Amino acid sequence: MTSVTEVSVSESVISTPAEKKRSSDSPTVLAIRKNLRLILRVSASLILIAATTFVLYRVVPVNPTTAGFLFLVVILFIATKGGLVESTIASVVAMLCFNFFFLPSIGTLTIADPQNWVALFAFLATSLTASQLSVRAKRRALEAEDRRGEVERLYALSRALLLIDTSRPIANQIVQQIALTCGFPGVALYIKANGELHRSGLKADVDLKLRESAVRSEMLKDSTTNLVVTPIRLGGGPIGSLAFNGGAFSDAALQSLLNLVAIALERANSQKAVTQAEVARQSEELKSTLLDAIAHEFKTPLTSIKAVTTDLLSGTPTPLEPHHHELITIADESTDRLSKLVTDAIQLARIEGGTFRLNLGVHLPGSLVRAALRQMKSVLEERRIEVQAPDDLPPVRVDGGLIQVVLTNLIDNALKYSPPESPITIGARLNEGRVIMYLRDQGQGISFEEQAQIFEKFYRGKSERQLQGSGMGLAIAREILRAHGEDISLNSTPGEGSEFSFELPIAREVGPQ
Amino acid sequence: MSSGKVLVIDDDPQIRRVMRSTLTAHGYQVNDARSGEEGLQELRNSSYDLVLLDMNMPGIGGMEACRLIRSGSDAAIIMLTVNNTERQKVDALDAGADDYITKPFSTPELLARIRASLRRLPQLPTHSDLQPLAEQGVNIDLASREVTVHGRTSRLTAREFGLLSYFLARPNKTIAHRELLQAVWGPDYGDELEYLRVFVNRLRKKIEPDSSKPVFLVTDAWAGYRFHLPQ
Repeated sequence: MTSVTEVSVSESVISTPAEKKRSSDSPTVLAIRKNLRLILRVSASLILIAATTFVLYRVVPVNPTTAGFLFLVVILFIATKGGLVESTIASVVAMLCFNFFFLPSIGTLTIADPQNWVALFAFLATSLTASQLSVRAKRRALEAEDRRGEVERLYALSRALLLIDTSRPIANQIVQQIALTCGFPGVALYIKANGELHRSGLKADVDLKLRESAVRSEMLKDSTTNLVVTPIRLGGGPIGSLAFNGGAFSDAALQSLLNLVAIALERANSQKAVTQAEVARQSEELKSTLLDAIAHEFKTPLTSIKAVTTDLLSGTPTPLEPHHHELITIADESTDRLSKLVTDAIQLARIEGGTFRLNLGVHLPGSLVRAALRQMKSVLEERRIEVQAPDDLPPVRVDGGLIQVVLTNLIDNALKYSPPESPITIGARLNEGRVIMYLRDQGQGISFEEQAQIFEKFYRGKSERQLQGSGMGLAIAREILRAHGEDISLNSTPGEGSEFSFELPIAREVGPQ
Repeated sequence: MSSGKVLVIDDDPQIRRVMRSTLTAHGYQVNDARSGEEGLQELRNSSYDLVLLDMNMPGIGGMEACRLIRSGSDAAIIMLTVNNTERQKVDALDAGADDYITKPFSTPELLARIRASLRRLPQLPTHSDLQPLAEQGVNIDLASREVTVHGRTSRLTAREFGLLSYFLARPNKTIAHRELLQAVWGPDYGDELEYLRVFVNRLRKKIEPDSSKPVFLVTDAWAGYRFHLPQ
C-alpha cells in the first residue's frame, strides 16, 4: 500500500518568532541581510569608539592610562554584544585613537617615548584577546541554548509520538508531530514495511530520494535546498527514511530524532501484531463456541431418540414383537448414523477451523487400543478382532482422546470395507525408538488410483457406495495425526487387504499419577 | 419396589420426559428440575440417592451446579455431556461428579452406570483396618465418613470411601488400575484411567498431610497405586 498525502501545517502553529526569520526567506536574501547587519554592527562600534574618544579628549580630559583602560572597557562591551569582526576592528581603531589623541606626541601617530610603544601593543593585545574570549564565551552560551532547545523539542516529540493512535496510518501522524515540535518547514516520512509515505511542505520529487535512502541506507544532503534525507535504522537495517529541510539540528540531536521515529514505528508494528493476534483469538473462540452450541443442539434431540430406541430394544420389562423390534432397530441404527455424522462434521470443522488444541498426555499404546475397542463394542458384535499390543511397549505422548478417534475411525473403515467373516488385526509395535500402530483387514484392498483419494474429505470407496458413512473418517484421522506432527500411511494389495499405520512419539517422562 | 430416588436436572423437556418414563419403568423414583438452580432447591427440600446432571444448561450451568450439589449433598452425581473430550470429563469428575456419560447414550448403558453409582460398597473397613491410619494421625469416622488430618476435617463421598476401603484392605501392595476400577466402579469399567487419576487426587487432598507430596497413596508408574502404611 502506498499512500502519498500532502498537508501544509500553518506557519503560526509550527514556528517560533526566531525561527520565522530563519525559515521564511531564500538563501540569497538571507546572505544579504547577514552582510547588512554586519556593516551596521561595525558602524555602531566605530561610532561608540569615536564617541568615547570625543568624551575623553574634549569633555572630561583624562591621562593616557585612564583613557587606555576606558577604551578596553568599551571594547569588552562591544565584544560581548557583537561578534569577532566588529570587536577586532574596534580594537585596531581604538588603538589608533589612543595613539593619536592620548599618547605623546599628541595629534600624530608617532610615539615619542619608546615605552609608550609597549603600552600601545599591550593595549592592542589585551583588547584583541579580551574580545576573542568574550566572543567565544558568547558562542558557547548560544550553542548551549540551541542544545537545550533541541533537547526540549526532542522531549516534546517523544511524548507526542507515545500518544499517536497506532490503529490509524501512522506516517502522517509522525510527520505532523515532527513539523509541530521541531519546526521544520518541510518533513516527509517513508515506511519501508508497508510503503506508507507522507509529505508535508515538501515537493513530490523527494519521494524517490526517500525510497533510495531507505534502500541504500545512505544519507543524502542537498545544500542548495537545505534538504536532508536520512535512513531510519533499527537493529542495523533501515526500516524507512525521513526527509526534512530548513532544520538547524545538530548531528547528535538528529540521531536522537531518528531513534525516536524508529521506536515509534516499531511500537506501532508490535501493537498491530498484538491486535491481529487478539482478533484471531476472539474469532477462534467464537467459532469454538458456535461449534459447541451446534453440537449441543443436534445431540439433544438425538439423545431422547436414542434413549427411547435403546430402552425399547433392551426388552425390559416387556420384550418387543419381532416386527416392532426390527422397526425400532432401524430407527436406532439411523440415530447412531446421524449422531456419527454430526460428530464427524463438527470434528472436521473444528480441525479445519483451527479451533482445537492438542491435550497431550502420556498413554500406553495398549490402553489406547483397548479403549477404542471398548468404544466400538456395540458395532463390533461378533467380528473377530486380533489385538497385538504387548504390555511392555513404552508409553507415548499424544492426545489420548484424539488418537482414540483415529483408531475408531480406522476400525469403522475396516468393518465397512472387509467381509464380516474376515478378522481385523489391530496392534502396536516398537520400531527404531518409535511406536507404530497399525490396523490390518483382509478386505478387497484398495486400487492404486484410489489410494491417493481415500484420505480426501467426503470420498467413499467406489465398490461399496451403498454403505453408510460420512466419508469424513479417514480425512479426520489424517488431520489428527498431522496435528501431532505425524502422518498416516496405507499399504494395500488389491485382493489381499489393507494396512493403515502411523507412528507415535514415545514419552520421555514418568507416567500418569 | 424402589431401586432409589433419582433427580434429573436437564433444560431439555424431551430428555426429562424420556428419563422420567424410562427410569420409572425400571423401578426408580424420579423427579426432575429444569435448571441447576431449581435442582439445588429440590435437593434442599428432599434427599436423593442420585442426580443426573446435564453439563450444558443456561444459568449456573452443570459444572457449577455439580460443585454446589457436592458441597451440600451425598447423592451420587452422573454428568451428561455432549462433548467427550478428556478435559471435559476430567473437569466433571474434578467438580465432584462420580461418573459421566456422553450424549447420546443408550438406556442400558445409563442404567448400568446408575446401578454402579448406587452400588453398595463391596466391604466396609473395620476399626482394625483404620487403626494403622489413626496411628499416623489420620482419623476416620466410619459412620459419618469424616476424615480429620492435623485438625483439618473433610468428608469422603461414598465413592471416595469405597476406594479408600479397598486400599486399606490391601496395604503396601501395588493394585493395578484395572483391578481398582472394576472393584470400586464395577465390572463394566477398566480403561478409565482418568477416573482413577481424579479420584486418587481427591482422596489425597482429604487424607494426605500434604497432597502434593503423598505419603500414603503412592503412584507406581504404569502399574497402579499402592497404599503405603509403615508396618
